[in-house]
Formats: sequence, C-alpha cells, structure tokens
Amino acid sequence: MRILALDTATARTAVALRDIDTGANACMLGELDLSAVDDPPAGGRPGHAQRLLSLIDELLQQTETGWESIDRLAVGVGPGTFTGLRIGIASAQSLAAARALPLVGVSTLTSLALGAQERAPASATLAVIDARRGEAFVAGWASGADPLSGEPALAPRVLTPEQLARVAASSGTATRAVGDGAIKFRELLEAAGVEVPQDGSPLHRVSARVHCRLAALAEPSPDGRVEPEYLRRPDAEVARA
Amino acid sequence: MSGDGLILALETSCDDTCAAVITPDGAIRSNIISSQGVHDRFGGVVPEIASRQHLTLLPPVIDEALRTAGTTLDDVGLIAATRGPGLVAALLVGFCAGKALAAARELPFSAVDHLHAHIAASFLKPSEFEPPFLALIASGGHTLLAEVSDHRALRIIGQTLDDAAGEAFDKGARLLGLGYPGGAALERLAAEGDPGAFDFPAAARMPGLDFSFAGLKTALLYKVRDLGERETERRRADLAAAYQRAIVEALLLRVRRALQQTGARRLAVGGGVAANGPLREALGGLGVELDIPPRSLCTDNAAMVASAARYSPILAFPEYLELDVYATGERR
Ligand SMILES: [Zn+2]
Repeated sequence: MRILALDTATARTAVALRDIDTGANACMLGELDLSAVDDPPAGGRPGHAQRLLSLIDELLQQTETGWESIDRLAVGVGPGTFTGLRIGIASAQSLAAARALPLVGVSTLTSLALGAQERAPASATLAVIDARRGEAFVAGWASGADPLSGEPALAPRVLTPEQLARVAASSGTATRAVGDGAIKFRELLEAAGVEVPQDGSPLHRVSARVHCRLAALAEPSPDGRVEPEYLRRPDAEVARA
Repeated sequence: MSGDGLILALETSCDDTCAAVITPDGAIRSNIISSQGVHDRFGGVVPEIASRQHLTLLPPVIDEALRTAGTTLDDVGLIAATRGPGLVAALLVGFCAGKALAAARELPFSAVDHLHAHIAASFLKPSEFEPPFLALIASGGHTLLAEVSDHRALRIIGQTLDDAAGEAFDKGARLLGLGYPGGAALERLAAEGDPGAFDFPAAARMPGLDFSFAGLKTALLYKVRDLGERETERRRADLAAAYQRAIVEALLLRVRRALQQTGARRLAVGGGVAANGPLREALGGLGVELDIPPRSLCTDNAAMVASAARYSPILAFPEYLELDVYATGERR
C-alpha cells in the first residue's frame, strides 16, 4: 500500500511517501522524507502554507509517482500549533477529495514516540511538543509499550511546566523524552531524571515517514474528514467560562 | 479566462464559510453560505473560533456547492479562493483547501482579492453591470469607495478611518440592547422611530472621501447615558432611527462627493449594509444608474470570488503552490 503522509503540527513541514506491506510486519519498500532539509531558521515562521504543496509536488517528482498510484493519505492531527494543524488538515482533506483517496488522521505525538522507538529503543517514552505560552503537549508510553499498537499510558494533554515536572518525576529514571518540547523543557525534565537526547538529535523530529506506518494500520475516516487534536479551547471561550 | 470548465470558488476571509460554482460566462450555478452564528455570544468575530468552524464546515459546503450545481470536480476547470485581505487564520483554511484541490488535479488556480470580489458581484448575471462605475462597499468588515475603470482594476478613493459602517450598526444595536449582530434589528426598530428626534453627527465637516463612525458611536453612548435607563428605553425607536439616519447620511454624503469628483454616472453597491432599506432608498434618489445585487451576493459569498477570478490572473499548475494569504493590516 503506497501512502503519502504530511505533518504541519510543529515548526517543520514534513511529507513522506512509503510503500508499506499490509502484512502483520509492515515493511518499508521505499521512502523519501523531505522534512530534514526544511527546518525554519530560529524564530522564523514555519511557512507551511507556502511549502506544503510544493514539497509534496517535489516528492512525487523525485519518486516519479503519479497520484493514481497512491493508495492512501495520512495527515498529522496534532497536537501542535492551531494554524499549522488547519493548514495540514484542510490541504489533506482537499487532496483526498480531489483524488478520491482514503484519508487517515495520525496523532503527531504517537508518531513522535514511535519514530524515536524505531531509531533507538528506550524503555518508557514521553513525547513532548512545544505548546507555546510556556506549556507542553505531552503523551507517555510505559516501559515495554509499543506506540504502534498500544494506547499511551498518559493520554495526550496540555501541561504547565509544574505539571510536566510532576509527570516526569513519576515516570521514573528509565524514561526518555523526545520532541521540540523536550528540548524546550530539557532542564526541568533532566532534573526529574528523564533522559533528553541532545538538541540536534533526529529523535526530536516529527517525521511523516513514521505517519505512514501508523496510517497503514488505521481505519480511514469514513467521510474523508479528520478532526484536529487542539487539546486547548479558544481563549475567548476560556475567558467566558 | 478559464476555458470551458466551471469555476469553483471558496471564501473564508471572516466568519462565513462559502463555496460557489459559476459558469465561465458568469452565471451562478450554486452559491452556498454557511454563516457560523457562534460569534454572537462573544459580541464579535473571534478569529480562532471562526477558523475552527471553517475547517469543519468547508468540506460539506464544497460538497453542497457541487451538488447544488449538479456537477462534480470533473467539470471544474478553474479553482479560485480568497487570498486576502481578512483574518489570516480564517483565510488560510479556504486558501489552502483551494490550492490543494487544484494541485491534486493539476488545475489552474486564481488567488482573489476580497475587495475586488465584492465589486465583481456586480459582473455576475443577472446584473452584468459594466465598468466604468463608482463602487460603495459597506459591511461589517469594510467601508470604502472605489473607482472601477475596468473589470480587473479598482482604485480605492475613500475608506473608513475607524469602524466599518456595518460595525457602527452592530455597536449601536448593542448600546440599545438589541444584541449582536444587531444591524438588522436596529433597522426594524428604527422604522418605528423619528429620524429627526436626535441630531447625531454624520462627520459632515470631515472633508474628502474617507469615513469615520467612531464619533457617532460615542455620541450615541453619551446620549444613552444622558437620557438614563428609563428614558432610553422609552425612546429606543427614536434613538435607533436617528442613529441609522446619521450612518446613511455619512455614506450618502461621501458617495455624492465621489460622484462629483470622478464624474461617474453609475454606482454599484455591495457589502451587507447594502441590504439596509433607508440606504437603498437614499441611493435610489441620487439620479445615477444604480446596481445593488441581491443580498446573497452583497454579504460575503463565494460566487463573487468566482466572478473576480474571471478577471484575475490565472496561474497554471504548479505556479501557485507557494502562494500565501495576506491580511493587509486592518482593512478587510
Ligand atoms: Zn467582505
């Protein structure tokens, strides 16, 4: 099954195309992930709206792939920046509708955890995405749990630094935290005994390549629509509550 | 122009989620507008809430536009979407969706300016109002006068320095306890009142073609305060009528000046405020050839975006893939 995946939840615009065997052991037949070359400069805006479609176009050209040979689309549903999520999902829904393709929504946190496990197995994993405003989007997998098949022990949520410190302290010393949020809260996490790979490590990157693996096992959305995982209500609603 | 195919257009610049299909020669096949209505309790449009709603509403709105037009994407030859000005987060939903629809089918794409689109509402059948003309666009988001010399070009010669005319209606309505958005309710209440009962300012002494409604709103606020709760309640209809008259006069005065200054003999009116009865009546008395499209084409809609696409640059695949939206400051 050939899957085209994209993610715009974090600062990077990630796209990937993989052939995944539908058997029990999903095996990768070919891949291209352009996200590595597209990290925005420090403090720069991600620019998903400008880059997403041209990255996909470039990917299809490089792999000499036509839309007719793609079997499934996958999109990261976050959590992440609200505008980023909407750019990715609005685009993915349109691509799916225009090509009559099944669409799967993939948790960006799950993909982050799975990607890190695949590259370098660790015991317990905390996936941490920068939620801005000094907070973090977090999900956690216990030691031995496989993000590919298992639900996270700590379901996705938004945490203040104090809450994150408590979660880190209770998750034990064999835990590894990955993601741009893990870099941002490195000090706090390491103080709690959690391991954080060095800043430039690929373990921190959201990779659409991993989305493909998750998407191969998921049930496509019945109506071609997927919901973003905002995890936060709009400020105006919070202010009124 | 787009050849033979239909034009599918999307518009999400503020709080209306819109999709429309028109023919290459400007006949409307469908014009679907899903007004969100979720902003009323906040007393104004909340960008984040509007954007979330757009993402949810847009796919079914596109489906309905195609279904109502009795067609499918197979018959679409050009995709268009509003690029700006507007709320960036809201614009991005429709603009990215439109670009992706076009890209997946390697169709041409047209990035439309929202203000051009309001004017292009007059180019649609049945109006087919031909340039040159003077255009007045007055809504909750914008208030401007533009010289339209041909289908592709507009030159803004006057615009509001503070509130938009529709905003002035809504804020006045709120001061009179009519809720939000209350422009239409204010007009209904005003019909029972005496427009001469109070003398609200129409910024008549402000020269030129720019508009200002902030002083008017303040004048109403002070008047309500002076009258006190009971007297305000008793004279609400008079207050509404006088307030409405001031807005209409402010608009009319600058339209007259603009007609004189440009020598235009023809006037097109757009924006939600164009639905206001006393304004239409006053404009009708100007003695110029007048085009006011039906209300569904005056408020934000996608048929006008499709119409503007006929007179905007058409980009072939893949030239448009990297286009972004624009907010252009406060003007929308
Ligand atoms: Zn408008």
